[in-house]
Amino acid sequence: MSDNTEGPHYTESSAGLMEYSAESAMPFGPVHPSLKEPEYFKLILEGEKIVQVMPRIGYVHRGIERAAQDRTWVKNVYLVERICGICSFSHSLGYTQGVENLTPFEIPRRARYLRTVVHELERIHSHLLWLGLIGHWAGFDTLFMWIWKDREHSLDLLEAITGNRVNKSYSTIGGVRKDLPDGMAERLKTEAGFIEKRLDYYEDLMGGEETFTIRTRGMGRINQEVTRRLSTVGPLLRCTGIPRDIRVEDPYAAYDEVVPEVMTSNDGDVASLITIRLKEARDSCRMIKEAVDKMPSGDFKINIPRAIPAGESMFHVEAPRGELFYYVKSAGGSTPERVKIRTSTMANILTGVEMLKGHTLADVPVVLTGMDPCFGCMDRIAVLEVDKGKEWSIGGEALRKYGIDYYSKRRGGK
Amino acid sequence: MTPIEVLQLLLFPGLTFFVWLAFLFEWLERKTAARMQGRRGPVVTGPYGILQPVADFFKLAAKEEIVPAESDSFVLRWGPALYFAAPAIGVAFIPVVGAQSILYDPLDLLFMLFILAFSTLMALMLGYASAGRYSTIAIGRLVVQYTGYEIPLILAMVTPAVLARNLSIAGIAAAQANLWYIFLAPVAFAVFIIAALAELEKPPFDIPSAKTEIVGGWMTEFSGNTLAYVKLTKNLSYAFLSALAVSLFLGGAGGPVLSADPTVQAVLYTVYFLAKLFAVGFVIFVIRTALARVRIDQATRLFWTILTPLSLAQLAVAILVVAR
Amino acid sequence: MVRRKVGGAVGEMFRTGLEPPVTVEYPFGKKVVTERFRGKLDIDPIKCTGCSICEIVCPAQVITMVPVGKKKVGDREVDIKRPSFELFACISCGQCVDDCKFGALTLTRDFELAVFKKESTLMKKALVVGK
Repeated sequence: MSDNTEGPHYTESSAGLMEYSAESAMPFGPVHPSLKEPEYFKLILEGEKIVQVMPRIGYVHRGIERAAQDRTWVKNVYLVERICGICSFSHSLGYTQGVENLTPFEIPRRARYLRTVVHELERIHSHLLWLGLIGHWAGFDTLFMWIWKDREHSLDLLEAITGNRVNKSYSTIGGVRKDLPDGMAERLKTEAGFIEKRLDYYEDLMGGEETFTIRTRGMGRINQEVTRRLSTVGPLLRCTGIPRDIRVEDPYAAYDEVVPEVMTSNDGDVASLITIRLKEARDSCRMIKEAVDKMPSGDFKINIPRAIPAGESMFHVEAPRGELFYYVKSAGGSTPERVKIRTSTMANILTGVEMLKGHTLADVPVVLTGMDPCFGCMDRIAVLEVDKGKEWSIGGEALRKYGIDYYSKRRGGK
Repeated sequence: MTPIEVLQLLLFPGLTFFVWLAFLFEWLERKTAARMQGRRGPVVTGPYGILQPVADFFKLAAKEEIVPAESDSFVLRWGPALYFAAPAIGVAFIPVVGAQSILYDPLDLLFMLFILAFSTLMALMLGYASAGRYSTIAIGRLVVQYTGYEIPLILAMVTPAVLARNLSIAGIAAAQANLWYIFLAPVAFAVFIIAALAELEKPPFDIPSAKTEIVGGWMTEFSGNTLAYVKLTKNLSYAFLSALAVSLFLGGAGGPVLSADPTVQAVLYTVYFLAKLFAVGFVIFVIRTALARVRIDQATRLFWTILTPLSLAQLAVAILVVAR
Repeated sequence: MVRRKVGGAVGEMFRTGLEPPVTVEYPFGKKVVTERFRGKLDIDPIKCTGCSICEIVCPAQVITMVPVGKKKVGDREVDIKRPSFELFACISCGQCVDDCKFGALTLTRDFELAVFKKESTLMKKALVVGK
C-alpha cells in the first residue's frame, strides 16, 4: 500500500508494518466500558468506518506459565484454574488430564462422567454469560438481567457440587475431588430441564425482537476463507459452516459415550453466533441429563504418586470459547519442566479484528464481544523493534535484568 | 406579576413542584424497570428508595468538578444553567390546577416548540464545548437524531392545535372537555411518544449517550455540580414532555367536577393531572425497558420513512375532521 | 419468512414484574450458601499430630510448622511441631483437608472474613501439644 493522501495516511515500512497518521487513529481501550478486560485496539477510521485494526496485547499478562514451573504438580491445578474465571474448569481439566497422560494410570469411568457433568455446566454458564453480554452491548438491558437471573441456576448447581461458583477446584490429578452430593442427580435433571425451557424462550425473543436483530444481523461477516487462513477455533469457526468440535473429533472425559451435537451455521455473523451458542447451551442440558442417567458407579478418584514420570504430553479440550491446548513436559521431578497453554482467544483474536473491518464505531462492542474474547486467558508478551523489523520473545531472566537496568538508569544514571 | 403568581411560579405548581416530580419520575423509572427485570431497584435511601434520586443529586453536587484542559470551561460551567432554564420555563405553561396555567400566552404552543429546539441546541453546545473524543462523536449523532425526530414531533404537537383551533396549551387542554384527543388522533399520540423517547435519549433512541459505546455521550466530560444539573434537567424534560402529552392529548387537568368548593376542586384537578401524568410515564417506562438500542442510521430511517409520513397523514385527517 | 415483531419482551416483563424479585438484600438479608461451600479453614487441635503434610501441599503457603516442644524418638530428641495458619492468604482450596490423614482440618461455611487487624487472621489454636 502506497502513500494514500485522501484517506487515513498509512505507509508500509520495511518491516511490513503499517504506520499511520495520528488523526485518523482512534484508540479503543485498554480501558473502555465495553471491554471486560483491558486490551488495546488502535482503530484506523475513515469517517466512521473502520478500515484497519491493530491490536496490542499484554495488559493482563501474569507469567503463569513461568509460575507453573515453580510449583508442584498438585499446586499447579489451583494456579491453572485461576487463569480465567469463566472457563476455569476447562483449564483445570486440560491440565489434569494432560498430566495423567504422562502416567500409566487410568482414571475411573465415574470420574470421567463427573468431569463431563461439571464441564457442561460450565459451558452453560459461559454461554449464558455471553448471551447476556451481547444483549447489554446492544442496549437491551432487560435481556441481560433476565439471562443472568437464569444463569444463577447453573451457578448454584456448581456451588452445590464443587463448593465454589467460579474457582471450582474440582478436578485433581487422578480424578475428581468429591462425589455428587445426595439428591443431586435428580436436581441436575430438573434444573437442566428448566434452563432448556428458558433457552427456548430466549431463542424466540432474540430471533424475533426487531430492535435487537438489526443490531446483530449481518454484523461481522466472516467466511470460510478467513477462518481457514487465520486458524479460528470454537463457535467462531462453526458459524462459517465448518463442523469442528474437539469433543467429537478427539473425545476426552465421557464424550465417547455422551456424544455432543456439533452446531453449525452458514451465515458467519453475530446473529448466527447467538444461535449457535444458544443451541450449544441447550445441547449441554441434554448431555447433562444423559450423563446423569448413564453414570457408572465406582470410585471417583485414584491415588497417583506425586512424582510424575518424565515425558511430554499434549492435550486439548473444548472450552466454551474453542480449543484449549495444553502441553506439559515433565523431567521426572516434583515440578513440571514446562507448561504451555494456548487458549482459544489467542487463536481467535486476529479473526476478531478481521470481523471489525468495514463496520462503524457503534458496532465495535457487539462485534468484538461476538468472538467471545477472554484476554485474561490469552495474554503474551512480544517484543517488536520497529526500525530493525525484528520480532523476538524475551525470557524471564533477561526481562528482569532489563527492568532493573532501565529503572536504575532513569533514577540515577548509575 | 403579582406576588402570588411569583410564588406559584417558584413553588407550586411551578418549578419546585416539577423538580420533585422529576425526582419522582426517575425513581419510578428505576423501580419499574428493575421489577420488570427481576431485581429490586433502589431500596436503601428513604422508604422503598424513594429518596435515591435526591441522594444522587446531592452526591454529585458534592464532588469535584474536573474540567478538561482543551474545553471551553466557561460554557461547561455555566451552560448547564441555560440548559436547565429551558424546561424550567416550559413547565410554567402547563395547566396543572384546573384550566389555567401560571403563565399564559395565546401562542404558547409555538414557545414550547422553541423550548424543545433550544434544549437540543444547548445540549449540542455543551457537547461541543467539551472537546473530548467521545463528545464529538456524540454530538454528531445528536444532530442527526434531532433532524430525524423534530418534524414528526412538531407535526404531532400541531395536530391537537388544529383539532382545538387554538395555539395555547391551556386552550387545547380546555377544548378536550368532551373528548380527549387521544381518541380523535391516536396516531399523533403514538408519534409524539416515540419522538419524545428520542428527545429524551431513552432506549431505543439513546444513541447520543450510549453508555456502552461512547462512555457518556455528550455528557462524558461533565462531573460534579454541572453533571448533577444536567441529569436533573434530563429528568425535568422527562416530566415536562409527559406533562405536554397529558395536556395535548389527555385533556390536561380536566375531569369530572365533583365538588362545588373551588379549593377541593383544585386538589381534585391536580390529582387527575398526576394520575394521567403517571399513566403516560408508565407507557414510556414500558417501551423503554422492552426495546434494545437502534443504530443511528436505523433510527433516521425510522423517523424519515415511517414517522414523518404517518404524522403528515394524521395531520391531514385532523384538518379534514375540523373543516367539516 | 422471518416474523418481525417489536416488543416481544413485554409479556415476560409484566410476568416478572409481578413475581418477587430475586435479589438477596445482603447484608440486610441473609445469604445462604450450600453445604459444600468452601469458606474459612478450621483445625481440630486434638486430632492434629504435626505430620507437616498440610504445610507441604498448601498452594498458597498459608501453613507454617512451628516447634512447640520436644519429644524423644529412640535416642534422639526431635521437635514436636504444630501448624500455624496465616488465613489472609488462604484460597480455601481444601487440598490440606483432602490430604490430612487424621481429619483434623475442615472448611467451614463462613465467608464473612473481613477483619480490622491483619494479626487477627493468624490462627494459632493448634499450637498446643495434644498428646
